[in-house]
Amino acid sequence: MRKMLMVTTIGLMAACFAVTTAQAETYKLAISLAITGPTSDAGAPYAKGVEDYVKYANDEKILGDDEIEVLIRDDQYKTDVTKRNFEEFLDEGIPIYLNYSTGSTLALKKDFEEEKIATIPASFHAGNLVDSNYIFLPIQSYSNQVIALSEYVVNNNKGGVPKVAMFIHPSAFGRGPVEDTKGAVEAGLKMDIIEVVEHGKDLDTTATLQRLMSKGVQYIICHTVQSPVAVLLKDAERLGIIASSFGEEGKITFLGAHYTGGNDLIDLAPTASANFYWTTGYTLTSEPGPGTDLQLMIAKKYGRDDKTANSHNYTNGMMVTQVAIETMRRAKAHGKEINKATLYDELNAMNGDNAYDPLTTTGPVTFSKDDHEGVDKLQIYRVTDGVFKSVGEPFIPKYAVKK
Amino acid sequence: MATNRWLATGNFFTSYKEEQRIFLTNIDRLCLWLLIAALYAWPFFVETSNKGMLVLDNILIAMVAILGLNLVTGFAGLISIGHAAFVGVGAYTTALIASGLGTDHVFLTHAWPVVIVLSGMVGAIFGGIVGLPALRLKHLYLAIATLSFQMIFQWVINFSKLFNQGQTMSVGRVFWLTGKVGRKDHYLFWYFAVLTIVVISGFLVRNLLRTRYGRCLVAVRDNDRAADAMGMHPGFTKVYAFALAGFFAGIAGSLHCYLYRGAGIESFTLHQSISYLAMAIVGGLGTLSGSFFGPAAIRLLDLGVENLSSWSSTFLPSTMNIATALRPLTFGLVIVLFLMFEPRGIANWWRIIKSYFKLWPFKY
Repeated sequence: MRKMLMVTTIGLMAACFAVTTAQAETYKLAISLAITGPTSDAGAPYAKGVEDYVKYANDEKILGDDEIEVLIRDDQYKTDVTKRNFEEFLDEGIPIYLNYSTGSTLALKKDFEEEKIATIPASFHAGNLVDSNYIFLPIQSYSNQVIALSEYVVNNNKGGVPKVAMFIHPSAFGRGPVEDTKGAVEAGLKMDIIEVVEHGKDLDTTATLQRLMSKGVQYIICHTVQSPVAVLLKDAERLGIIASSFGEEGKITFLGAHYTGGNDLIDLAPTASANFYWTTGYTLTSEPGPGTDLQLMIAKKYGRDDKTANSHNYTNGMMVTQVAIETMRRAKAHGKEINKATLYDELNAMNGDNAYDPLTTTGPVTFSKDDHEGVDKLQIYRVTDGVFKSVGEPFIPKYAVKK
Repeated sequence: MATNRWLATGNFFTSYKEEQRIFLTNIDRLCLWLLIAALYAWPFFVETSNKGMLVLDNILIAMVAILGLNLVTGFAGLISIGHAAFVGVGAYTTALIASGLGTDHVFLTHAWPVVIVLSGMVGAIFGGIVGLPALRLKHLYLAIATLSFQMIFQWVINFSKLFNQGQTMSVGRVFWLTGKVGRKDHYLFWYFAVLTIVVISGFLVRNLLRTRYGRCLVAVRDNDRAADAMGMHPGFTKVYAFALAGFFAGIAGSLHCYLYRGAGIESFTLHQSISYLAMAIVGGLGTLSGSFFGPAAIRLLDLGVENLSSWSSTFLPSTMNIATALRPLTFGLVIVLFLMFEPRGIANWWRIIKSYFKLWPFKY
């Protein structure tokens, strides 16, 4: 009898072990981005953010015994290479995809639709959402970021209608917000857009600045990447036209959307970036909080240097991974199989009481069938004593456009 | 000519007609047909991923483009630094048809061979127009004229709403006898389609070079005044060389558009033009086989360096950004090494190998 009991117990234990082993799954998460080549200054820390959070999720067993395998491929900012990487990922059976550039997101939009795969890009271009059901922007679109800055200008300008110029990247990425901002002005936002400047690869913008000064421009809203903004700011500093306080008369106040700012801008233009106003939907390590503590802890745990640990692009990479893994966790908690369809459904259900707070953003992430812009609240930051400091509370732009 | 055309070990021509044969020996003919048969057959025996097939499709499309570039630069001796723009003309012709008729219009999805030829013809028209300065310009000055076309092309696409300001313009999936070509078969389907176009284009070019018009290209390249004195029209020859190059480029562009299911400006930049020129140089300027070797060599080199960059970025310090520099460095180095040590390109290696086996097992 004892022998039989022992055999049964061992048998049961073996069966349990076998079941447990069989149940542990590995899910794949993939990203194609510019680790080398153009924009790799943003892409490299972004990739590290993705990689580290996956390691952290596995170490912390966020998905229980299930593991996540991350596939990170360098596309050198080339759409052709992104397409190739994406094909590889599909063959690997990924249930969700993280993309990077505006160009490749627009180019692969049809593929995302056909494959019915939820995609979270690093591009916040509003056009990504046009005729798309499967693209989810992590935070407000560039258009809404520029509109938020415009609203801030209108609300804080002293006397009269503010005169604004836009300084944009000469591409789809840069041009995206122009029409939407003009639309906001037509809808009642009281400001004059004096000129839209598409920068080239100029190393000197003195003439542009002098022309804008002669037209009475008080504010320049930038929507591009850091280096042209740094050139603009340094030239403005040399001409002595940077406003020392917001809206200072006879001077220009500079503002910028997500990819214009961050520590890289301060490194490129250490003194000229003082009083630069910037908006994003991410928390910054210069304003400590639970999200930044988590970020710094993860960066330290996986041996990242200070520059990476404090980069908002590292935060950005971490945050999209947090969202992707959270959808997996929720699908699992709801007893669903983790696949393209269930993760897509979980993303669309991420609202109301189900909104997700990754702590690394300035507000909760909310998605629904009609709203594919994650974090609705934007925070304005200003460069003070060589670091970005919060100005006021995060807010949702009143004239925000939904695509 | 030797009576036994299977075992010919030298050139024994007794007439110009014999010299102009497509295949000098029966072995040549047999090898080529076997190669073509193998290229068509292997996908049925070897399973390849979509990623691998995409790489092969890209190489084949580049071959079509380089056949054109080799005609204008290799055979006619006219430097073209704007070849990617001609490829872009073909791609945007297809994309414009899509935006005009609808991405899934039957003309685009069912009559795609017609669309491809049409795109080639538009490429030829642009080639002819850009070739007009060749009537008065030569050498570097002509190169600058083609460079200007590249710049104008990029500017027009980037700023014109008609071309979606350089953003991707989509094209729908095509149909074949078996129905709609889905994602699963997309790259395999285009492999066969592009391979067919490569084979046809290769024979077309080979035959062109046997004709009066083909020989005119070479004569004008070697000495246009002498060609003029011999009754040829150097100006007309140069213009049609550009038109032919534009035609092949246009076809390549249309294929690219169908393969990637859209056209975006970043595939047709100056950098791409320089890549095409490098393919022609590395393959062997003025040789037909060079048009096939060059694209394969450069595209595979690109892929190798890409993997090397990606791997090295995992341990090289990001601040040094060495991984980013690897690709342009390798690319430049390969061109310089070929120009210095093998200006006749890989095609010359192929010629040496063929000569060796022609005589084998004898030394002389």
